[in-house]
Amino acid sequence: MINHATELKLQAYLDGELPPGEAKAIADLLQSDAGAQGLYHELKAAKSLLAGNELERQLPESREFYWSKIQRQIERVESTQAGGLAEPATPRWWTRFLAPAGVLAALAVIVAVALLSPEDGGTFLSLDDSHEIETPLEETSSFSFRSEAAAMTVVWVDSHRE
Amino acid sequence: MSQKLDFGSADDKTLVKAAQKGGMQAFEELVARHRDKIYGRAFSMMRNEEDAIDLSQEAWVKAWQRLKQFQGEASFVTWMTRIVINLCLDQLRKQKRLRAESIEQIDEESGGVERQMPVVTPNPTERLERGELRQRIDEALARLSHEHRTVLIMHEFEELEYKEIARRMQCSIGTVMSRLFYARRKMAVLLAGLKREELR
Repeated sequence: MINHATELKLQAYLDGELPPGEAKAIADLLQSDAGAQGLYHELKAAKSLLAGNELERQLPESREFYWSKIQRQIERVESTQAGGLAEPATPRWWTRFLAPAGVLAALAVIVAVALLSPEDGGTFLSLDDSHEIETPLEETSSFSFRSEAAAMTVVWVDSHRE
Repeated sequence: MSQKLDFGSADDKTLVKAAQKGGMQAFEELVARHRDKIYGRAFSMMRNEEDAIDLSQEAWVKAWQRLKQFQGEASFVTWMTRIVINLCLDQLRKQKRLRAESIEQIDEESGGVERQMPVVTPNPTERLERGELRQRIDEALARLSHEHRTVLIMHEFEELEYKEIARRMQCSIGTVMSRLFYARRKMAVLLAGLKREELR
């Protein structure tokens, strides 16, 4: 019985893919070995049976429908590529000032809060001329809200604060 | 004076040239002309109608995109077939229907059932009409593994060399030879009319 490497060489010989030096050795083997001969003829028969005998198939869709799908896909791909290749939009001129303006605004808020803080340690925030929120003593945890416009004062005291 | 192209009677080369210049109508004629062949190749590899339609369609879209690269070394339909084969191979790899080379080598080098099979000489042509023979070959192909079928299709129907098949299947030439050997032996048995049980 011939080994697998020789079987593959027999096949390569059949397919014309064996180097000339090895082809001679296989041709000699085929003359002398009945087993090799049998296998060679089996492979050859399978090869020649397949040649030119592939089943022809028909696409199960109409010409128009099939083409319409291809055309749509082509258009989609091309529009995507066109979009991808387009120059990136130029940023508007004022956008370059956004970052420094943001930093300046943050600094302004910090300075304003520092300047408006009362010296007695209480927190005092003025909303406008007519509205005030006052927390006179932090330890008592009370808040008052006064509106001049509404002529109203609301005091909220948290007695549970530790 | 320019002549209007008669798409129906123009040959592939003329249509390809027109399509390369952006002629969508020329390309449509090429699709109509070769759609069955391209679909058939996709079906033979995938063995699934839906996959075959999708992949053949994708192949046409790819062909349109790469049409300028087509230089005419091979025929247009050969070029198209190569595109659809590559797409099918990619899809089979994605679906993991093509086994890793190492696993297959262990399986096949350990012997495999085909090595135990007695030598047969299939000769169904004596009693079968051509149509029946083709049908029977197709049924036999359907019973092969994806690896065996793919290598057989590429070698016997597309007439690709071992080296080219190995490149496309991303495996060694030795693996291609081994797959082709077992595929042929299985086909020989199936076409000789042996029962399925005898293969297992």
